Amino acid sequence: MGGVKITDILKKYTMVIALILVVAFFYWKTGGKILLPQNINNLISQNAYVFVLAAGMLLCILTGGNIDLACGSVVCFIGGIGAVIMSKNINVWVAVLVMLVGGILVGIWQGFWIAYVKVPPFIATLAGMYAFRGLSNVVLQGMTVGIGNSTFLNVFGGGAECYVPDLFGKGSLNVTCLLLGIIIAVIYVAFVLKNRISAKTKDYATAPLATEIIKMFIVCAVVIWIFYKLAQYKGIPTSLIWIAVVLVVYGYITSKTTMGRYLYAVGGNEKATKLSGIDPRKVYFFAYVNMGLMSGLAGILTVARACGAQPTFGQGYEMDAIAACFVGGASAYGGEGNVFGVVIGATLMGVINMGMSIMGVEANYQKVVKGLVLLIAIVFDVMSKKQKK
Amino acid sequence: MKNAVAVLRKNTMLIVLVLVFLFFTITTKGQMFEALNFNALITQNAYVYILATGMLMCMLTGGNIDLACGSFVCFIGAVGGIFMVIRGMNPLLAVLLMMVIGIVYGSVLGYLIAYLNVPPWIATLAGYLAFRGWGTALLSANSSTGSIAPFPSGFLNAFSGKVFSSPIGQLNVVCIAVGVIASILVVVINIMTRKNKLKKGYEADSMTAVIIKSVLSVAVIMLFAYKLALAGGIPTVLIWVAAIVLVYSFITSKTTLGRYFYTIGGNAEATRLSGIDTRKIMFTAYLNMAVLTVISSYIVIARFQAANSTAGTNYEMDAISACVVGGVSAYGGSGTVSGMVVGATLIGVINLGMSLMGIDANWQKVVKGVVLLAAVVFEILNNKDTSKA
Repeated sequence: MGGVKITDILKKYTMVIALILVVAFFYWKTGGKILLPQNINNLISQNAYVFVLAAGMLLCILTGGNIDLACGSVVCFIGGIGAVIMSKNINVWVAVLVMLVGGILVGIWQGFWIAYVKVPPFIATLAGMYAFRGLSNVVLQGMTVGIGNSTFLNVFGGGAECYVPDLFGKGSLNVTCLLLGIIIAVIYVAFVLKNRISAKTKDYATAPLATEIIKMFIVCAVVIWIFYKLAQYKGIPTSLIWIAVVLVVYGYITSKTTMGRYLYAVGGNEKATKLSGIDPRKVYFFAYVNMGLMSGLAGILTVARACGAQPTFGQGYEMDAIAACFVGGASAYGGEGNVFGVVIGATLMGVINMGMSIMGVEANYQKVVKGLVLLIAIVFDVMSKKQKK
Repeated sequence: MKNAVAVLRKNTMLIVLVLVFLFFTITTKGQMFEALNFNALITQNAYVYILATGMLMCMLTGGNIDLACGSFVCFIGAVGGIFMVIRGMNPLLAVLLMMVIGIVYGSVLGYLIAYLNVPPWIATLAGYLAFRGWGTALLSANSSTGSIAPFPSGFLNAFSGKVFSSPIGQLNVVCIAVGVIASILVVVINIMTRKNKLKKGYEADSMTAVIIKSVLSVAVIMLFAYKLALAGGIPTVLIWVAAIVLVYSFITSKTTLGRYFYTIGGNAEATRLSGIDTRKIMFTAYLNMAVLTVISSYIVIARFQAANSTAGTNYEMDAISACVVGGVSAYGGSGTVSGMVVGATLIGVINLGMSLMGIDANWQKVVKGVVLLAAVVFEILNNKDTSKA
């Protein structure tokens, strides 16, 4: 039992603790408004794009602190294309397919320059940031294009009906939602236990049972609490499903697949990776193509949420995604970071945004605070790395 | 023949500039060649030259950039507006105070980047967001329209307008005289440089090359002087730009400090091991960037005669593009002030030409992005060739 020190736990979960403190702060400042069911719901739907983009950005950052400054403009561009297609009464799924393929093509374009021509990522994507912003204006002809298709809006988290329907009638409490929360908690517990047993049989080191039970208990409590809150409002927002799918898939890719490990390897030591027979160019290419795909998905979620596309959409999104990654502990030099951290980081940024909005802080000062949070997170990261050395 | 190829390669961007200029002169039916457009080329792009000079110093240290400069132009402009317009402060004192604030900001930024090892693009990305928000907030708090005006005439005269102005269409004698003096100086310097090199036994260009170079330079200078003389005289900003460009081309080519920037960009580790404090150089680069950002802010507010919340949008992009198009390496260690001047002028000509042709602003963004990308790709491929040879 003696192996676990309080300071270690504090260090490992700094951002989780920061998140709790920030939530507590806003709870106090807004008189509890921030934890109203409706606000928890908003927190998820408003920040869906952050989770999705940050998952893509994480892969780029892992390869060596590389970023994509263009994703905000790409979100707007892809969203604009989709809105225009749908306004022409073409089948929704064709539009969705075009948007996702469009995202991938943008990713291929940027990935090619970055991976195979060795254009520094920040320059290639800076060029993309301007070019795609211009192109989205061209696509939308400078105007707002509305989206009226209810299937699209319902599936991708826009409009009033974008919730997973309650299978058990229409009570004030959404039973489906609550049930799902419990199922997730059960799956989580089963998963942890299975891992623990398999680790034991392989004689790997495991954390003390007590800590693990406490951790399990906390996670389950949080999950069920969130779903309970959601159940009190309208149920599960469809955007949450998309976020969950993306996070689970990328959690799996980064921790369990060879390609995922390559991302870390390239970020840790590109030369060594190359010498061990892995083509780093393919890894970079993968990261940026994937980023394109995520930008496409984020574009879909963004226009669905807003029920239309505007040429100003997506401004500053790259910033939100990057901040979520760094606040969530991804290293600015690559090779370190995980999807769980990104979730915490994105949630923290989302809570800050929402808390400030509820408090009535002006949008301009929100920008200032966001910039400062990013800076503090990065300085903290750099300083704690220094201490380790 | 080999010589001709070398000359072509060395002056690619200069040749591209001439071709692009001719292209726009033809497509705009000679409009591009009008005196007022020569004047516009300088007054509209003055900030690019100044910011790009600062950016050049940052990029030399290893492809590092400053994404915050555009937002800082807005912020410090807002501060200047509050000092001079709202508080009615003496313009000279206000200008000094703005500079002091800039120096404080530059020191903090430089400290973060040089001493805490925060990656430059993250530190400046935070500034990009924070200063845009802060600047806009200051402006909207002090004016209902979000823009502060009118600035005192003393300030406006120092950073905009004409020196010894004369009516448009009438030949301005001072302007022509300055052109003649500059031409003579250029010829003298060219000849002296050759003489010096020969005396020390260095390799020098042939006499014909020097003569051709001098004749071309004199022709360009006199053309500009003539056109500007017809457009009302020397724009005040040209004096600022010329002074900065001259000082920095001296620093980068003739001083020890200047050479350090190149050696760090070439090999930071080796530079450090030879006893040079690389952190100091990085610090200087970003402090210097802040100082030049403040100067370009003076020029920008004076040109628009107001501090606007949109001032400085995308300026970082213009400065980076000017450097990269002007042959500054995206990896650091190579690039010259004169190259940057050609790059900035090329981008200015493209912008002006497209506006004169009536091309939509959105497409202009697309073209800008593509030009930036094309320039980097060209530079990378070109370097690959030379390193193989």
